[in-house]
Amino acid sequence: MRNLKPANLLNNTGPEAISAHLDIIPLGKVDPLALSVVAANLKSIMGINARILPPRPDPLYAFMPMRNQYDAGKILLHLADIKDGARFRLGVAHLDIFTPILTFVFGESQLGGNAAIVSLFRIHDPDPALIYERAAKIALHEIGHLIGIVHCRTPDCLMGFSSNLERLDGLPLRFCSACEYEASCCLSRLLKNP
Amino acid sequence: MKASTNIMVVDDEKTICEALMAWFVKDGYRVETALSGADALDILENRRFDIFLVDIKMPGMDGIELLSRIKAQQPDAAVIMMTAHGSIQTAVEAMKGGAVDYLCKPFDPDALSLLMERVMAHKSLEKENSVLKERLLEEQAGAAEVCIVHSDAMRKVFEVVEEVGPSMAPVLITGETGVGKDLVARALHLKSDRAFGPFVAVNCGALSESILESELFGHEKGAFTGAVKTRRGRLEMADNGTLFLDEIGEISLKVQVSLLRALEEKQFLRLGGSEPVYSDFRLISATHRDLLPLVKEGRFREDFFYRTHVITLHIPALRERPEDIPPLADYFLKRYVEETGKCLEGFTGKAIGLLSSYAWPGNVRELRNVIERAVVISKGRMIGAEELKFLNPGEMPLEQGPRTLEEMEIDHILSTLELCNGNISRAAKNLGIDRSTLTRKLKRHRMSTCDEKP
Repeated sequence: MRNLKPANLLNNTGPEAISAHLDIIPLGKVDPLALSVVAANLKSIMGINARILPPRPDPLYAFMPMRNQYDAGKILLHLADIKDGARFRLGVAHLDIFTPILTFVFGESQLGGNAAIVSLFRIHDPDPALIYERAAKIALHEIGHLIGIVHCRTPDCLMGFSSNLERLDGLPLRFCSACEYEASCCLSRLLKNP
Repeated sequence: MKASTNIMVVDDEKTICEALMAWFVKDGYRVETALSGADALDILENRRFDIFLVDIKMPGMDGIELLSRIKAQQPDAAVIMMTAHGSIQTAVEAMKGGAVDYLCKPFDPDALSLLMERVMAHKSLEKENSVLKERLLEEQAGAAEVCIVHSDAMRKVFEVVEEVGPSMAPVLITGETGVGKDLVARALHLKSDRAFGPFVAVNCGALSESILESELFGHEKGAFTGAVKTRRGRLEMADNGTLFLDEIGEISLKVQVSLLRALEEKQFLRLGGSEPVYSDFRLISATHRDLLPLVKEGRFREDFFYRTHVITLHIPALRERPEDIPPLADYFLKRYVEETGKCLEGFTGKAIGLLSSYAWPGNVRELRNVIERAVVISKGRMIGAEELKFLNPGEMPLEQGPRTLEEMEIDHILSTLELCNGNISRAAKNLGIDRSTLTRKLKRHRMSTCDEKP
């Protein structure tokens, strides 16, 4: 894994640091190392305590035979409906996901909501470290939306929209100072008032 | 810009509306959705949108009809058409109807992102363009206001401006210092087809020969000591616009030759350059001097003289059109009242009498400065004779009997200098003329001041 250095947006030293802010939920068979790298980056860059839950079955309810893809919106609704667990849920799947308007997405989330998803399907590479780094970038971007941050136009900010792998790989594993500040404020507020 | 950009999505499929809304909101736009053309038109009654995404195939009013209705109501809006069943025919129809682009659902993430970047860049350019046009119209209104004319003499001048403004003919504007030759030049530019092009003014009297040459033609890096980088000249900057050369009578014979060649060939060389530079500009020049005697004396080239004064416009001095004084004074009063925030309603009858009978050697510029000064020092609601006493009513021409213009000018300059304790700069400001003009007049009339260095 490259660049695991962190600004740690939420300085967790109190007892709440022990409880999880976010559940990582594998959907179907997912490389466990990818899940660990995502969790580590969420902790080191955003200060979010993430716990990895046991895998759930493939989300067949979201499969669209016409497109031979999975509807990201339906998966998000399903994740948001899960009883119990942490405030935020992040699904990770090795499935090709889409939204009704786009041919595919790397990830999807509810802006200001509580569910997000990362797909590993289109980020394959012979170098596993690159796959993990891409997964971590998508997860951080989607969690950024989850806490209410919109796309950022600053070059080299993780909240910039990546429509292809070239753009995604060109981004460093960090937010720009404005998004970092906004994320830290949003997280403090959200986690203090669950 | 994004946060202030309003987008409307019109599609009969709710999931499409929701998905597009989610995407645009995450991208920082303000979004509204409508499930039919009729719903969209209802919303359009009260709100304006910058960008529309419209589905072509909808029950009831289809996208093509909605496109024409949107274009009729909000012609500046960018409309992007969407369809799930792409066909070349509908695409052509949509583009002919004024759509900026056509997308097939579902979109490739790259296509949507690039299209939005393109549309936003176009909108930003359009906005910039409309701001510039508004500024130009304001400027046009400003120039028109300053050229306030009640006299027949000035009406004739502006009739000529209306007539020759749209032509490409070079114009020579003559008149005393301070009559507003630059404003007439600007009015000519604004009346021409080049109004949206640059108006580049150069005061040739204020620059030495070498500086003027470099200013007009530009220079290449290393052309002379101090030419550390290549610089465009005013002729080049005036491409597709107007070049206004003020005080053309002060241009040296050498620069006249270069200018003449540039005017005839529409191309010239930068100082130290070898590649010709092309520039298409209209020349308007101005002078307070009579150029014919200069031509006879050989101090002004005859060919350059005839090239620059295809049309001549003479602006009469203010004393030759006293009926323009009260409206101009009112205009300047309003302007300075706005600037200073003072509550002044107008002039007393006596003040108007004083203003109308004064000789105004500094012309409109002097009148402007006098009104500015009167506004600053006034304490009441009206400007009276008290606020204008620095005009030296005792030396007013009407109270002194017939005197020559030159005598009046000398008296006025001397009294202003006395008021300013001999300070030439301050006196020039009060007279509404340049310091160099005042110095020239002092030399011509062989007057001296305590400001002059031994």
